Amino acid sequence: MSTSHSRAAGKFLEDSGYAKWHDNTFWGVRAKRDTMAFGLDEWERLREKASEIKQHTLTHIDRYLEQFADAAERNGAIVHWAEDADDFNRIVYGILAEHDVKKLVKSKSMLTEECEMNPYLEERGIEVVETDLGERIIQLKGQHPSHIVMPATHLSNRDVCELFEKELGTEPGNDDPVYLTYQARLSLRNEFLTADAGMTGANFGVASTGEIVVCTNEGNADMSTSVPKLQISAIGLEKIIPDYEALSVFTRLLARSATGQPSTVFTSHFAKGRPGGGKLHIVIVDNGRSHWLADPDHWQMLRCIRCGACMNTCPVYRWSGGYSYSYFIPGPLGVNLGMLRDPHRYSGNVSACTLCLSCQCVCPVKIKLGDQIYQWRQKLDDMGEANKEKKRMCMAMEKVMGSVSLYNKATSMLRYVNSLPSAMVNGSLNPWAYGHKMMKFPKRPFHEMIKDVEKGSTDK
Amino acid sequence: MGNRKDIIERCREAIAERLPRPSLDDLRPTVYADPLEQFKITSTAMGSRVETAASASEADAIIRRAYPDAQLIASALPEITIATRNPDTVESAQALNGTDVGVVRGTLGVAENGCIWVPQTMKERDVCFISENLVVLLPASCVVSNMHEAYARVKVPESGYATFIAGPSKTADIAQVLVTGAQAARTMTVILLENE
Ligand code: SF4
Repeated sequence: MSTSHSRAAGKFLEDSGYAKWHDNTFWGVRAKRDTMAFGLDEWERLREKASEIKQHTLTHIDRYLEQFADAAERNGAIVHWAEDADDFNRIVYGILAEHDVKKLVKSKSMLTEECEMNPYLEERGIEVVETDLGERIIQLKGQHPSHIVMPATHLSNRDVCELFEKELGTEPGNDDPVYLTYQARLSLRNEFLTADAGMTGANFGVASTGEIVVCTNEGNADMSTSVPKLQISAIGLEKIIPDYEALSVFTRLLARSATGQPSTVFTSHFAKGRPGGGKLHIVIVDNGRSHWLADPDHWQMLRCIRCGACMNTCPVYRWSGGYSYSYFIPGPLGVNLGMLRDPHRYSGNVSACTLCLSCQCVCPVKIKLGDQIYQWRQKLDDMGEANKEKKRMCMAMEKVMGSVSLYNKATSMLRYVNSLPSAMVNGSLNPWAYGHKMMKFPKRPFHEMIKDVEKGSTDK
Repeated sequence: MGNRKDIIERCREAIAERLPRPSLDDLRPTVYADPLEQFKITSTAMGSRVETAASASEADAIIRRAYPDAQLIASALPEITIATRNPDTVESAQALNGTDVGVVRGTLGVAENGCIWVPQTMKERDVCFISENLVVLLPASCVVSNMHEAYARVKVPESGYATFIAGPSKTADIAQVLVTGAQAARTMTVILLENE
């Protein structure tokens, strides 16, 4: 009767203090984004340009991919092409095995999450160490990211304190974030120094130069690739952009939209392996993207630059948390990407939207996330995934609303609903009452009240 | 194994209509009357300390003043005579661990966000990240207003790597509390060189 998302959200909301804190935290990030956006006169023009550049690039992606790969190979990078997640994991493992890698340090990559690369490599005896602090925390905790930019923000410093005490041997009870961050730094420093290979995701691939561009605040992508000599960078094929002119637009939008900073601390360009025997492998991944590109209703999702702004602003995300969604990416972005990935498996998320459309007001590349969720809902019935009770009620409503006399009769009876026992109205028989109380219906319907008003004004 | 031809061909077939590329001529990005002044403000906001010197020969003294306890100083720059390690000649990247202060050169500063373009001119670039504190020398004349101007001027050198750095390494991953000094330098000092 209820969706997978609404059931999980119900659990999330049981701890109302935590839910309030979660809402405040992400709304705070949205507010910081606004300060940045309002600080630039050209903000809206910038979004428009970004959106158009992405549309242009995606509709020429065949050419830009060729240009990118050719340029990267000219630089001396080794380019691989992965059809799907299995292919990707095999390629990465192949490179690591060839170089006898025991330990891999990596920076955050939603693509490696998507392909479930870490467990694949671990099963084959490779130690994988996440080096973004948030990612490291959830890796130690055995969890998945609850947000694409701030993966561990669902945890409190108390939680991290307990975790680090157990995993890193930090001082019992010391939950000072400065102390905990420093302890993680020391532990990760050791990992960087002893790793055999480093891996990054990619925020952008620049077609004109063949460079991989990675943006971080911690400098962990740079540490991962400056100490070990072997580097692997994974990039989804939609991340290719034409050139530096395009990059200048996206770098101005990304950090401002993501965390409300004018820039990430590091915006690093990788063109080839390090001097003195280093190697750079670039793995370009399709994994469904070329099919999504052919979807006339949803191909524009490929414009996404993964800033996370749509999650921070989404009231449903803020009040239900990342783990209420069944796809590994939450929020409006995740609802859409889940449906592209497997509509039957992830249709339980399309209810996670109030259609307030706040997401599309903040999206730096102007993706119409809410409109697309609405479109998915229209398709649920054809896919056999519509909520059965709601569907029956809709059919009844169609009958009532299609007939003036039936409608008038029904609305004048509605007030009797108020005196029905609450269990009947708010209970399990009424699918709309799940998660919220039903409204109180007025004593008289609107069309009767307005008649009186009209009569009153003509009487005068 | 995925094959370049198949993937590119599938993309080509998926494209319904080729859409044009917009011109940025009507973007009218923010331009500062005094980019250098704005650069100082933004860099400070990003957590850097900003110093001014007439020339690079003054850098040694500024570094000594800023980091009086520093013992291990790494730099490949000839102007830095107090350096105790050289990223060009160390035997491995690991050998730079424990560096108190790393000193490098930037070639371009960006006023809107405090970014400094640091191309890899040294053999081991981890000097930029592994050092506890990072000092970047930047000619004061090389500051532009925004990223559009910046990307029109920069280029990755032969070494194959360059990065924009805007302040010390940061994280807010624990309880959204901003902490400087995540995995790279814990402080950053920018020395603006007025005569360059
Ligand atoms: S859909 Fe838009 S707002 Fe959401 S993560 Fe992607 S770029 Fe950011």
